[in-house]
Amino acid sequence: MFTVLALCLIPATRYYQVDEPLLRFLRGSRHVDPLALHLAGEFVENNLGTEQDADGSVTVRMIAQQYLFVPHCILVPAGVPVHLRITSADAVHSLTFNGTNYAVKVLPGTISVAELQFPRAGEYKTVCREFCGAGHYAMRSELKVVPRDQFPALRAEERGNCAAQ
Amino acid sequence: MRRNNRHTLSHRTFAWVVAAIVVAAGSAILVASDAAPDRIPSLVTWTSDNIAAATSGDAFRGMLLAKRCDHCHGAEGFTAVGSTPNLAGMNKLAIWKQLEDFRSHKRNSRVMEPIAESLSSRDVADVVSYYADLPVFTDPQDNRVFPEAQPDAGHAAIASRLVTFGDGERGIPPCQSCHGPVAYRVGVPSLASQNGDYVLNQLEAFADRGRANDINMPMRTISALLSEDERHALAEYYGAGLGLQPAGASGAK
Repeated sequence: MFTVLALCLIPATRYYQVDEPLLRFLRGSRHVDPLALHLAGEFVENNLGTEQDADGSVTVRMIAQQYLFVPHCILVPAGVPVHLRITSADAVHSLTFNGTNYAVKVLPGTISVAELQFPRAGEYKTVCREFCGAGHYAMRSELKVVPRDQFPALRAEERGNCAAQ
Repeated sequence: MRRNNRHTLSHRTFAWVVAAIVVAAGSAILVASDAAPDRIPSLVTWTSDNIAAATSGDAFRGMLLAKRCDHCHGAEGFTAVGSTPNLAGMNKLAIWKQLEDFRSHKRNSRVMEPIAESLSSRDVADVVSYYADLPVFTDPQDNRVFPEAQPDAGHAAIASRLVTFGDGERGIPPCQSCHGPVAYRVGVPSLASQNGDYVLNQLEAFADRGRANDINMPMRTISALLSEDERHALAEYYGAGLGLQPAGASGAK
């Protein structure tokens, strides 16, 4: 009896190693490890910024951390769907674009996804609206919306930002 | 006849070989252009295991090991050399991370890379523990005094403002919210008693990407936002030991 019970317990103790696909299913596809964003996955340094999609829309990937948004200035074309994917490396943050109604809650361990669109070209201040620590009030960055024809043509592996413009 | 036949055969094999080479080279180029390598700033992650490893050193053994560090980092963790950091009282995780980055060549230094490579994991933890335990504050009997030179009034005001408040307009967070003495982020060095020239060197290195081992790019971003004058002002401020006292809400001293 004891042997049978012990044999049943072995898979249970090795749950994390054995059932990685199940774990991924339970956590959902939007789970990331906030401590290891820089090592692998979609939030590595060279993948941050604006990515040109095949259908003309763009995907923006960002990290919010105490007390900065990275990249510090985002460049997107006007009048085009913007798929925002953002996650936090430490505390809870909230990304808002001044002059718009958009607000995205950013949680560590989860990729926050939002569908945005900016009809007019211009510069928007990006502000953190969730108290995140001692430097919270200075946690601001910039979003630059440029007319579609001024947005640079990006290759598949290229990521756009204000510095590249 | 026979000779002719063999001739055509060898021609055919040659054509196949050429075709194979072309296909192989083409696919290699495709693979290369498809997968751009990830740029990884540092192999360190702040898992509880790593934090435990970094903070569980033996300070006495570290003191014996640190004899070879004296020459540049000073006998008691204070140095007169501008290119070398003061290590006395530095956060354990900060020194540990830099040594790990030197070991994995994520931070480059002709001097420190071979030294860090020669240390075992236990040696690193012990040395870290020794330097973290050295006192920062100077007493009257002590010759480890900060330079007498004070920053000029204009620079002091600029630096004091950046350290205390940052610059919200440009999105520069206050230095003291991560580098102390108000608050610290995990793995961030204390600047309270840092050497001014070293601060300036590192700010410039971060700004021109000569140093790129900050996880998720905070310092590369901030240094690039600072002007040349502001970098000098901050270096003078910290070099004069003004970082020891928390700057009050009154701003400039």
